[in-house]
Amino acid sequence: METTSRPNWWTRVGDWFDERLNVRGPLEVFLRKPVPKHAIRWYFCLGGITFSLFLIQGVTGILLSLYYKPTPEQAYDSILFIMNNVRFGWLIRSIHSWSASLMIATCVAHMLRVYITGSYKKPRELNWVAGVFLLLLTLAFGFTGYLLPWDQKALWGSTVGSEILGVVPLIGEYLLGLLRGAAEISALTLTRFYGIHMLALPVLAFIFLAIHFVIIRRQGISGPL
Amino acid sequence: MSEAEYKRPEPYQHPEYPEEDTIPFFPNYIILEVITSYIVLALLVVLASLLPTGLEEQADPFSTPAHIKPEWYFLWIYQFIKVPPLLIGPGLLAELAGILIPAIGIVLLIILPFLDRKPQRHPRNRKLAMVITGLILAGFVALSIWGWYS
Ligand code: HEM
Repeated sequence: METTSRPNWWTRVGDWFDERLNVRGPLEVFLRKPVPKHAIRWYFCLGGITFSLFLIQGVTGILLSLYYKPTPEQAYDSILFIMNNVRFGWLIRSIHSWSASLMIATCVAHMLRVYITGSYKKPRELNWVAGVFLLLLTLAFGFTGYLLPWDQKALWGSTVGSEILGVVPLIGEYLLGLLRGAAEISALTLTRFYGIHMLALPVLAFIFLAIHFVIIRRQGISGPL
Repeated sequence: MSEAEYKRPEPYQHPEYPEEDTIPFFPNYIILEVITSYIVLALLVVLASLLPTGLEEQADPFSTPAHIKPEWYFLWIYQFIKVPPLLIGPGLLAELAGILIPAIGIVLLIILPFLDRKPQRHPRNRKLAMVITGLILAGFVALSIWGWYS
């Protein structure tokens, strides 16, 4: 033992980065952020669980996208290929669809927790609003993803599901056309839902998650009632 | 930067609660988030492997299947739009009610914090709100079950 004050390797790695990036301060503020002791309860974890499932959706979704083909001629066969020929493809697909269901369940449960503990009240009104948009986005993910396998269930479920838009006064026809890209569910609808599911919704979800989390950071999680 | 120059950041206060009522986000709080997340992920892997997602026949625009049901989380609205025609008879008015009532519901959900501005947070002091919420939830469950069996 040459010296007793030599810091351990972990601290030295930290020092190395801190010397160059000066990150220790901000990182410490981030990690040591105080959370009310009251929030150490399972039902205060529902938001975090929803976020974990969202991450699972991101990873499994990207894996599926490596094989999926968004055209009426190829979509169904590409799903069959994923299920029968890609190693663990069936499992990845199954996790993606189960996780979608669970995510909606935990998101609603999280909303109920926030409602019952009155955590949407001043000063947290805006985060409730951001939250409702996250719920709507989650539902939109489910709706657009449902069509992609292009089986009977997908086509007819989406047909019935989108019909409701046509009833909106004055602009119903227009909205329906906008969503389907044509009078009936067709190749245009499939590419449209694919683009929404894979690009538009993830971007929007990132934006609203960022808003949600930044607001939570600013305000702190709510404490005892 | 040497050890002497390094200045600890100000302890980042929670805006509402004194320090002794709080714990640090890392590792004290995040550990529970991680544990509960892993429990749900375990459930997810079990469900996904034991009940793998299936695939029906390829989509055929010329053959409508007999029973078309949406995903479980859309069953309530699927069934809800069938209710007004039952009550007031089919027609434009019934169709409008079927779509306008849920739309208004969503708007009310968004602006809820601005409608309910009383500071009381404990459900004990919000009995009426809890009863109404319970009824609404029961309505969702009932509509979903009805939609499932219809
Ligand atoms: C993708 C969906 C969502 C994710 C990932 C998410 C994530 C989170 C997380 C991690 C928290 C920290 C506390 C906790 O976990 O309970 C939180 C708090 C909060 N969430 Fe969400 N959330 C989502 C949807 C919603 C919805 C649908 C609402 C309400 C309509 C909502 C309203 C709130 C509010 C008001 C807070 C602050 C609660 C407090 O301080 O006690 N969130 N959210």
